[in-house]
Amino acid sequence: MTELLIRNACVIDPINDICGEIMDIAVRDGKIVESVGSGAEVIDAGGSLTMPGGIDAHTHVCGTKVNFGRYMSPEDMRAGRTARRGHMHATSGYSVPTTYGTSYRYSAMGYTTALEGAMAPLEARHTHEEFAYTPLQDMMANTLFDGNWPVMQAIHDGDIKRVAAIVGWTLSAVKGFAIKLTNPGGTEAWGWGKDVSSIRDVVPHFEVTPAEIIRAMIEANEMLNLPHSVHLHCNCLGKPGNYETTLETFDLVPNTNDKRQSLYATHVQFHAYGGSSWRDICSRSEEICRAINQKPQIVMDMGQVMFGKTTTMTADGPMEFNLYRLYHNKWSNHDVELETGSGIIPVYYNRKNLVNSIMWAIGLELALLTDNPWQCILATDNPNGAPFVKYPEIIALLMSKRYRNGVFQTVHPDTEHNVPLAALDRELTWKEIAIMTRAAPAKALGIVDIGKGHLGEGADADIAIYPLNINEIDPAKAPEEVIRAFGQTDYTIKRGRVVCCRGTCMVDGENTTIWVNPRISENHSMDHDPEFARNFDKNYTIRMRNYPVQEEYLQRNLCIETEARL
Amino acid sequence: MKVTLEVRPRRKPHLPIEAEKIVPRTFFEETDGLSVFRGNKELALEEIFSVAIEGEAASVDGVEITILGDSSRIKRVGEYMDGGRIHVMGDIGMHCGNFMSAGEIVIDGNADAWLGREMRGGTIRCHGSAGDFCAAGYRGEKRGMRGGTVEVFGDAGDFTAETLAGGTVIVHGNAGDLAGVDMKDGVLTIMGDTSMACANMSGGRAYVHGTVYDMIPTFRNIGRETVGGDVFTRFAGDIANRGKGTLFIRNYKYMD
Amino acid sequence: MKKCDVICPFCGCLCDDLEITVEDNRILGVDNGCTLANAKFMGKERLTSPIRRTDGGWEDINYDEAIRYTVDMLLDADRPLLYGWSGTHGEAQCIGVHMCELVGGIIDSTTSVCHGPSILAIQEVGHPGCTLGQVKNRADVVIYWGCNPLEAHPRHMSRYTTYADGYFLDNAFRDRTVVVVDVRETETARVADEFVRIKQGGDYAVLSALRAIVRGKGDMIPPSVAGVPRSQLERIVRMCKDAKFGAVFFGLGLTMTKGKYKNIRNAIELVDELSRHTKFTITPMRGHWNVYGSNEVFTWMTGYPYAIDFCRGIAFYNPGETSAIDILARKECDACMIIGSDPGAHFPRKCVEHLADIPTVVIDPVPTMTTAMANVQIPVAVSGIDAEGTAYRMDGVPFRVKKVIEPTLPSDTEVLGDMFARMKEAKGL
Repeated sequence: MTELLIRNACVIDPINDICGEIMDIAVRDGKIVESVGSGAEVIDAGGSLTMPGGIDAHTHVCGTKVNFGRYMSPEDMRAGRTARRGHMHATSGYSVPTTYGTSYRYSAMGYTTALEGAMAPLEARHTHEEFAYTPLQDMMANTLFDGNWPVMQAIHDGDIKRVAAIVGWTLSAVKGFAIKLTNPGGTEAWGWGKDVSSIRDVVPHFEVTPAEIIRAMIEANEMLNLPHSVHLHCNCLGKPGNYETTLETFDLVPNTNDKRQSLYATHVQFHAYGGSSWRDICSRSEEICRAINQKPQIVMDMGQVMFGKTTTMTADGPMEFNLYRLYHNKWSNHDVELETGSGIIPVYYNRKNLVNSIMWAIGLELALLTDNPWQCILATDNPNGAPFVKYPEIIALLMSKRYRNGVFQTVHPDTEHNVPLAALDRELTWKEIAIMTRAAPAKALGIVDIGKGHLGEGADADIAIYPLNINEIDPAKAPEEVIRAFGQTDYTIKRGRVVCCRGTCMVDGENTTIWVNPRISENHSMDHDPEFARNFDKNYTIRMRNYPVQEEYLQRNLCIETEARL
Repeated sequence: MKVTLEVRPRRKPHLPIEAEKIVPRTFFEETDGLSVFRGNKELALEEIFSVAIEGEAASVDGVEITILGDSSRIKRVGEYMDGGRIHVMGDIGMHCGNFMSAGEIVIDGNADAWLGREMRGGTIRCHGSAGDFCAAGYRGEKRGMRGGTVEVFGDAGDFTAETLAGGTVIVHGNAGDLAGVDMKDGVLTIMGDTSMACANMSGGRAYVHGTVYDMIPTFRNIGRETVGGDVFTRFAGDIANRGKGTLFIRNYKYMD
Repeated sequence: MKKCDVICPFCGCLCDDLEITVEDNRILGVDNGCTLANAKFMGKERLTSPIRRTDGGWEDINYDEAIRYTVDMLLDADRPLLYGWSGTHGEAQCIGVHMCELVGGIIDSTTSVCHGPSILAIQEVGHPGCTLGQVKNRADVVIYWGCNPLEAHPRHMSRYTTYADGYFLDNAFRDRTVVVVDVRETETARVADEFVRIKQGGDYAVLSALRAIVRGKGDMIPPSVAGVPRSQLERIVRMCKDAKFGAVFFGLGLTMTKGKYKNIRNAIELVDELSRHTKFTITPMRGHWNVYGSNEVFTWMTGYPYAIDFCRGIAFYNPGETSAIDILARKECDACMIIGSDPGAHFPRKCVEHLADIPTVVIDPVPTMTTAMANVQIPVAVSGIDAEGTAYRMDGVPFRVKKVIEPTLPSDTEVLGDMFARMKEAKGL
């Protein structure tokens, strides 16, 4: 039995409705408890801001595509190297750090849980291998279904139960967490070098539309009772005028779940563009947020862009090819048979560039125009919009109008004619930031019940103590204090242990992989479906028996069992 | 300030010594406690060199470092050099003058690979021959050398001036395969022969006074032109890469 | 007893449909495998105990002594090299990286003598690729450049290309056009629809010419490029542009000839150019079983795919300097541990001589050419036969290889894990 007592913590815990109360937090064996004995280890927080550990609800940090981003970028690797020190292994990389680099830097910022945004089922073992070397965060994997052949065939046949059965089998086979759709239909079209340009386009050969895929998957998701909703990267990412596609997509979404949203729309900044070309691109954040404000069934994340160097990587292969044609920089692509695609290119977001400046503004607008902070999560689609180490700066931009104006002065001068940002006076509060960085991600991912995102009794003792007194610091006036504090905790506590103290990681760490196993009756299981097995062995280049991720890839893990209603 | 470093004999003479501290600014700022690395072992500068320092310097440009003895395995001398002078009496190891921005390095003997890698300014003169990747870039980086001058009086190895993006590279002897490959800007001059010159170039100018063997077939022949009294054939390319580079060659031979 | 869907531990194809007959913990037969797979499974005599060189011979030592010798050797060295890794599974490679980081050495895999140049090229221009199933189901044009799959990857054509059924092809064999580009007429070239014979060292020029033709600048190409008539180049380009899905595979004939990694860059840029017209992909024919896995593991752990120098604590990467073959040729290391590879058989003489001059430990189940250079050899179980773990196919798809018989010797993971634990102890960690 190990006990820990955090004294004099200034707690913001939105899920338990605690906002700035000075209190003690008791921890036993990794869980928050009512009280501990006198022998407990004590940390005096001295009135510092204390919140549940941060949760990144959408980040690309582990797996085939991320690793290829590293593999092809020695110039990025040399930009951030540290030597082995104490419990910390050597790290390399800036925008796509090594797994240890990612884990240490997140931990220093108080992040204790992350969702890998895109895992191709065929290559799931790779993602899980990297999870094992991301020791200081609990990890989950969005599982890609955007171009899944058997799923599209079942949708075409109108057999939603079969859709759900295939999804359930796959999630459980690859130890995935949630359904991810990246440019649904578009990645299969990309198998022929093509794309879809609206949610009504027909996917070649499979004769389904993105709209049909999205609707069917939302329905299947609820049949499987999954903790998270469908996690959608909308069609037409990055194209001027794409906000219409985004709004049309939002209109597809029913309100079917009273515990959480029915659709998680990711990196919406990249999907909120007006205009018809790069010449007249403009912000449509107001239209997007109007829809969000009317539709509690949708939660989004910002997909904030920050200026500087980064690497873009997504399962959206055709989009990356378009970027390549724009930038003429190096381009990688990796299509995955029967499932999905992916692409990678390095980019530099330049504040002197009008389009980049507009992108920067839109992300902020989404956060500022969304009435309910539970519906807009703070994320950069790391590393697509910016490496996650930029989060503290984003927090400061949202909390300080003055800081925002200061940066606005430095961007392309025509930006103000194309975005409403300058007119937005809202400054987010500490509580709203806490919601956007831990409470809302936990609720949206459906992991509150397993003890994430809050500090109530029974919750996981994942805690971040920031060197900041919210009663003394006015974030609107002292953005640099906000950036400093959110950049490095005094203590990051994971499962009741101090894992990181002022930037130095204290333990080797051992994370938990969170995955789902929807229980499906035998007569619906793909394991007993000869047609599925026959087509599998015929079309894949891996035998069905070799496909599931073996137990060996899950060291510590937490399986969320659900009852499927088929 | 005159700094004289004489390489002492070593028990394992082939193990490289990494000596990025050997750069005028270091000695200008602090002469005590300097170290170099033999593999994973950090050693005092004096363990590898006998060190003599005479006089003071008013600025970094007042520092002159002379290296004597067998310095062929001493790497990274002059890395990030930003002024002053280094004179290598013999051969020098890899990565001499990496990222150099000002000052002068003179090498009396040969230089190993990556001489003046990603150089920004200043001058390197190598009186012997240079190894592969002379005045080149780093893995994965689009732009290599961006400014300054590298002059090699002997031959240079393969991939000389690869991804050259600025500055001047002159090779008085021959250059190996693919001199000026992927170059983007700057000027490359080869007095002798080379092969597959300037493949995939997208900008800049190159002059080959000898013969280019295995000439890349995707350069457009613009015609004869006299430069500095010599008659060259002028090419534009590399067309395979929408290139806007210019290549002047005295003689060339295709692999047909 | 027959074990089904067994994954082959030989080449980068990782065929996973083998059937192995086992009786009394002995392998009696291999079905579905190629000759290389058969040879691997049926195997030669293995060592049964670690051995140490004595004056003029060898003596058996126990694992404890052998491991202690290796740990001391690595800890004492100024610049130890940890080389090989392609023949072992990912879990062992991970420990290898931790060991290297701890002792401050250099870690490199057989990549530096096979597809290292491909990686250097990819680092300059990226890599438009795909998994092999995309090729199998879609490709109507397949180009093998500088490789001879019928000999080096015997089932590549039957599982993934020419002879494989394809979902979108009615009659895959008839509907696919196979082009072979090589300097000599290989066995593969003889079964191709079109053979392009290039003069030795002319790959770069031919690739440039193809790129220019794709871009509509064919008029400027000389009538013959490196032995290939312009008319043939134009025909190839037409074929590629008309393809619905084109797939290029390339081998050491492109990476290890004149032009080296710039050849690969040129090939990739050709594929980029073709991607503006139709779907095109390119894949290196990785040879040594899990060599791609070594690149994956090294990359997520160190940031770089091979040739990583930890001597200064941080990871430094510069193939040509930090790659095993260069280090050995220049005598820039003072101890060497070799695992899952046989450099004695493949490296230039200069390199092998240096191995003989410095303390060298070989971790390998069987006596190899490298044994002759070793001070100590430690036998281990074979990944995919009596040891299990992760391996990556040439296209990046990870597999878990199984045991088909029970081991009598420790696995690489166990031996390296033991070494690493002792190193940590020695360092007070």
